[in-house]
Amino acid sequence: MKIITYKIGILLIAMLLFQTSCDDNFAEINRNPTVATSIDPGFQFSLVQLRTSGGRYENWRAGLIYSSMMNQHMAALCGYWNGDKYTFNGGYNSSLFDRAYGEQVKDMQDLINTLEQGEVGDQTMLGMARIWRTVIFHRLTDLYGDVPYSEAGLGAIAGIDFPKYDDQQSIYMDMLSELESAVGQLGSGGFGSADLIFGGDVDKWRKFGNSMMLRLGMRLSEVDPGTAQSFVGKAIAGGIMTDNSDDAFLQHTTGQGINLNGIGEVLDKSNGFGDDCPRLSATLVNGLVERSDPRLDILGVLPENGGGHNGLPNGLDETTIADNATGTNINDFDRVNPLIVSVSSPMMFMTSAEAQLLAAEAAVRGWGSGDAASLYAAGVSNAMNQWAHYDAALAVDPSVITDYLAANPFDEGNAMAQIGWEYWMATFLNEYEAFANIRRSGHPDLTPVDYAGNVTNGQLPKRLAYPSGESGREPFEAAKAAQGLSNDFSTYMSVPVWWDVN
Amino acid sequence: MIKLSHLIIPLIFLATTAFGQKTVSGVVNTTDGDALIGVNIIEQGTGNGTITDLDGSFSLLVSDNSTIVVSYSGFQTQEIEVGNQTSFDIVLEEGAYLDEVVVTALNIGRKKRALAYSVGELDGSSVATAKEVNIGNALAGKVAGVNVSNPATGAGGSSRIVIRGNSNISGNNQPLIVVDGVPINNDNLGSAGMWGGQDWGDGLSSVNADDVESMTVLKGNTAGALYGYRADNGVILITTKKGSKNGGLSVEFNSNFQAETIMDNYDFQTEYGHGLNGAKPTTIEEALAQGLYSWGDQLDGSSVIQFDGQSRPYSAAGNNVNRFYRGGSTFTNSLSLAGGGENHNFRFSFTNLDNVGIIPNSDLERKTFSTNTNISHGRFTAGISGSFVIEGVNNRPRLSDSPGNANYTAWSLPPSINIEDLIGDPNKPGATADGTEYQFNDNVFVTNPYWAAHQFEGNNKKNRIFGSINMGYEFIDGLTLNGKVGIDRFTESRRSLTPYGTAFSTLGQLSESNRNVQETNLEATLNYVKDINETIGINLLIGGNQQRNSNEVLGGGGSNFNVPFLHTLRNLANQSVNYGFSQFQVNSLFGQAEISLNSALYLTVTARQDWFSALTDPNGAETENSTFYPSVGLAYDLANGLELPGVIDFAKVRASWAQVGGATSPYQLGLTYGIVGQGHLGQALGSINNNSVPPLGLVPSTNTELELGFDVRLFKGKVHADLAFYSRETTDGILSASISGASGFGSKTVNVGKITNKGVEAFIEVQPVATKNFGWTIGLNIAHNVNNVESLLTPEDDGEEIRLQESRTRNAYVHLVEGLPYSQVMAFEYERDASGSIMTDENGLPVQGALRSFGTGVHPTTIGINNSFTFGDFGASFLIDMKQGAVIYNATNAYGYFRGLHQETLEGRESGIGAVEAANVEDYYQRIAFGISEEFVQNANFVKLRELIVSYNLPASITEKLPFASGSLSFAGRNLLILSKSTDNIDPESTYTTGNGQGLEMFGVPVTRSFGLNLKLKF
Repeated sequence: MKIITYKIGILLIAMLLFQTSCDDNFAEINRNPTVATSIDPGFQFSLVQLRTSGGRYENWRAGLIYSSMMNQHMAALCGYWNGDKYTFNGGYNSSLFDRAYGEQVKDMQDLINTLEQGEVGDQTMLGMARIWRTVIFHRLTDLYGDVPYSEAGLGAIAGIDFPKYDDQQSIYMDMLSELESAVGQLGSGGFGSADLIFGGDVDKWRKFGNSMMLRLGMRLSEVDPGTAQSFVGKAIAGGIMTDNSDDAFLQHTTGQGINLNGIGEVLDKSNGFGDDCPRLSATLVNGLVERSDPRLDILGVLPENGGGHNGLPNGLDETTIADNATGTNINDFDRVNPLIVSVSSPMMFMTSAEAQLLAAEAAVRGWGSGDAASLYAAGVSNAMNQWAHYDAALAVDPSVITDYLAANPFDEGNAMAQIGWEYWMATFLNEYEAFANIRRSGHPDLTPVDYAGNVTNGQLPKRLAYPSGESGREPFEAAKAAQGLSNDFSTYMSVPVWWDVN
Repeated sequence: MIKLSHLIIPLIFLATTAFGQKTVSGVVNTTDGDALIGVNIIEQGTGNGTITDLDGSFSLLVSDNSTIVVSYSGFQTQEIEVGNQTSFDIVLEEGAYLDEVVVTALNIGRKKRALAYSVGELDGSSVATAKEVNIGNALAGKVAGVNVSNPATGAGGSSRIVIRGNSNISGNNQPLIVVDGVPINNDNLGSAGMWGGQDWGDGLSSVNADDVESMTVLKGNTAGALYGYRADNGVILITTKKGSKNGGLSVEFNSNFQAETIMDNYDFQTEYGHGLNGAKPTTIEEALAQGLYSWGDQLDGSSVIQFDGQSRPYSAAGNNVNRFYRGGSTFTNSLSLAGGGENHNFRFSFTNLDNVGIIPNSDLERKTFSTNTNISHGRFTAGISGSFVIEGVNNRPRLSDSPGNANYTAWSLPPSINIEDLIGDPNKPGATADGTEYQFNDNVFVTNPYWAAHQFEGNNKKNRIFGSINMGYEFIDGLTLNGKVGIDRFTESRRSLTPYGTAFSTLGQLSESNRNVQETNLEATLNYVKDINETIGINLLIGGNQQRNSNEVLGGGGSNFNVPFLHTLRNLANQSVNYGFSQFQVNSLFGQAEISLNSALYLTVTARQDWFSALTDPNGAETENSTFYPSVGLAYDLANGLELPGVIDFAKVRASWAQVGGATSPYQLGLTYGIVGQGHLGQALGSINNNSVPPLGLVPSTNTELELGFDVRLFKGKVHADLAFYSRETTDGILSASISGASGFGSKTVNVGKITNKGVEAFIEVQPVATKNFGWTIGLNIAHNVNNVESLLTPEDDGEEIRLQESRTRNAYVHLVEGLPYSQVMAFEYERDASGSIMTDENGLPVQGALRSFGTGVHPTTIGINNSFTFGDFGASFLIDMKQGAVIYNATNAYGYFRGLHQETLEGRESGIGAVEAANVEDYYQRIAFGISEEFVQNANFVKLRELIVSYNLPASITEKLPFASGSLSFAGRNLLILSKSTDNIDPESTYTTGNGQGLEMFGVPVTRSFGLNLKLKF
């Protein structure tokens, strides 16, 4: 019996020992060996830039299927290229909104927050990051109207689960002052080669920041000319992009998804996939032909079925094409030149051509110094030359540009239409920007299509619709009420955003 | 088809028949001397048995040295060693409940009368005769309160078992599975979502039905309280078969064949053919662009061009669903060797299961080796039990979204297209002459079904071992120390191929991975049982457990094969490597004390403390990382304690209360960063890893339940009724709550919420007739659960919602909504005017209204009715399974509207609808298809003939002449008929996921009916 008691005693002691060590080593066990708790700001900045260039998902849907069709750079017969016919697909509409906050805004806000703490990085990095943040947000608000801005992407930093939607006016005011302040922060230091746009060149960033200010300022030309003039003036005075070496683009490469140009992922057939629906639009090709524009051979390739350059009219389908006078088969029309839509093509964010053309517009409006005609000429010239970034074979001979300018001289009486056309040409493949500037300026003056089942009553669309999944959430419902939007998401495409008053 | 092994196995038996056997006979009487009719006489550890006749007599051929088990409802079971005796006079005493023992938590056998909670019990044969590939699905309708959903994901798919309603806002709502005292992993290895995917199977599917002796379902918290944090969804205890002591050697062979055919619920229109705007295509381009649309002209037999440029009659091409799918089958053979001696028993078994899926080119094979072997020596005992399972599944079907989903296409072809015209190259189905996908429409993401079935791969192989070694020592009578080491370890290798030449990825994609998953449990218990005097008995237990889990995955993948059709990782132009690792540990101490008074009143108290590594801050910050889980229960047998009418054999009332909890995953505390891809232009890329906002601190969820019950048996056990009422509240759930994407994160991990489950369960079994020649038993189980999501993110706000699932159509969702039951199916309604009429816009199209809830996707009411009959040597049973009270979003119908396939879309084709002209009538229906999801939310109630079994026991007169001791032949059918349903085109049980968000359907694998034969021979 004694032995038994002894054994039980040992057992109980063993159990007590077990208890005292009941959470021994648990912190170590709960430490994930496969992740880091902090990261080099440069790693994060590179990634945010790549993700702003975007994945196939949103470049395909919001970028190509909607924006490039609605701004009539391109056209398609396929029914699911809804933007060609102003029909509604909720998921395609909301695709940029769906992706941008998680992929771009989240890390952007985290990086800015890290840099603001001041323990790592420098003020120049912070300036660059803040400029880049406006690149992300201006696309969102231009495309969707009021969007989460001041509270967006702060889920981890500030615990904001349902960020409020800011009205577009306050977003614009804040972005403009952000740009002003961020450009002022640029000095020594910076991201160096982790900056995939300019390799850390601070001067180029300054010009880029001012050019963004010019773009955003000019966006308010119709709704708030006073503010527009003020920021346009500041931007030009601060120094904007002047030549093609200033162009803000990200060079893509072959490799994995993250490395690829999102537009190329849709259209580049050599990469194992190729959506063959889109063609250059008739609006674009006819305009180029009319002007004998050398970009005909840069942007398009001759139709597979033979003949000269030919653009597909918007608003046709597989059936109605049969009655089309300019071609009855999809292969009677120009595809986009594969050289500019490869998976390793650069992605343009802002070009010196755009900056010069906006400066020309400012001169016409009397808001900026400089000679409108020479700014226009610089803009056109840079726009022709920018395609050499894609492929050296696309370089345009200076004499050809001179000839083009001679054949299409700046005409003060028709300046806004000319600048609008050239801006539209310069933003080919920057489809979000092209769609925005058309809505602001009304140039080129596009003829809308009226396809059965369209949701804009045959008018040019004015924006894209939010994710329907936001329905019922308080901040969204408030934004909906503030903008006079109904329950029916398909009606949103007809509702102009704040700065679109024409 | 039939493998050599299937032929060899029976031959082995025919050769080994010379074991010692003899016939025993006897008579069974009550203590009053009345003959007992229909008493079960079974040779222990085998299926060999008979029942007594009108005179109470029996005779049975048994092995030498075997033990016979004599049992009869309402009487105490007797085990009799046969020895040299051949004739027996057996007297059974009434009041079997005194001794009926049931396996409870930690594999402790306890007297039923002592239990203060409800348990569900199932005999192994109830899942072995009418087989399902996944044993979980075979539980449907058999235990009150156990709700089994059988998703439409193919043969290797998972099952979803929920006991007493969903309690957890996120994470696991399925019970803990314990085999012979060892918890096994039942994680789902991946399921489809809105963007498609496959069901990669679960852990329960490794359990071999032929090895199962019995199952006990611990439904409530008190029943599972000793499992602490693992008990919040109930526990299913599986006990495997053992050899009988002194039983000699018994060899058993069981062969089961089930043929499977699809249940054709498909009823789309066959009046209009491919085309758009009411017109037939006239060019190949048009035919390709319209390859998926049935908005063409009325079928008139004229010659119309199709996608391949050929013109065929514009008429109904027949049933494509039946053409595409094939008959499936499952062939299961098992062989077991069992026996025992004075100090040992053993059982070894081998089972081979071969399944041929209904989708061409899909199959599953599973081999199971099991043992359960025990020895005793003096005061020492030791045992080993476990299984080694080798499972391979080829071509797990892709579900939901269209890429690679053969079901999607098979269901959406226009009626004028014959699916067999999509075969292309007969030597490489789904391909053109150059070996690439044969496209039949211009949307590359809608894959040729033959290409999807024959060229895609979604294969996995699993090698798994689970089991335990246990040792015990009895210090003095009643005081026992037991130690147990349990392990569950599996390696899964997986290969997922999008082949070279697929239209949406012309250069192809491949991913391969190897996963190692392991759980070990070290358990020690000290048990003391003592009857202190005539009236008071005690049963005490203390113990500890250490659980360690790890999960490691190493994989490679990429896109763009360099050499066409060479589908290897090395041949990919873009390659990447993935590695993941996680581990956690839980330490526990627990105890149980049972005190009994006069064998009538039982009081049981349990306590458990769990310490969690996953709740311990990795950086050493102070966190609450342990929880205490108590329970108390009282059971009282009125029939034993009070003077009750004689017809009442037993009347137990019981009440219990317990608190258990839930677990969480490791590594959730804190924001972390990782490297993305392989850099860009020489620069490394880094980002936040978390897709969910990390919490500041977490505590384990708490689940508190009060249970009341009544168990009564009347007329010498001819009537048995058990009623249970429960009320359960789960608070502080750890969940990944869906938040606005604009926060940067899709979700947030929080410790919130309150969910209540209240319900009633009734189990009633009546034996109206029990004679030698005819016996009839009706078993009825009914459960009704009232679930309510009381609060979600913030207690003070009302009307909060959390999104669990989204449909690919992007306009139907599954939400948790405060004040409503779990899994609300949300859809956009029609905008209606004051009078309730549907409003239309200026084009005459219906206007989308608000998003609202249309009901729960989880059936609150489940009813199973089983009738079983015996006619001499024949037996028959059938099970009716009903579920009521849920809805389902029928995305197949939404696409039916979009593509012009649904019967309803016939209206207006000639005359238009309102302001919409006939030629544009598709605009009207397409607006509804992806705009007004209300149209597709349907009542998911059903009544099914779930199971039918007819069996024949070979009588001794036949078996005596044959080289085996006993045999039986059964016909078994599963899911034979849908007696009632409200969904059109789909089975109401057609969800594509076993996740928490239930209520969405989209192009799953068609539900099947199966029927076949089961042959059992004993030597």
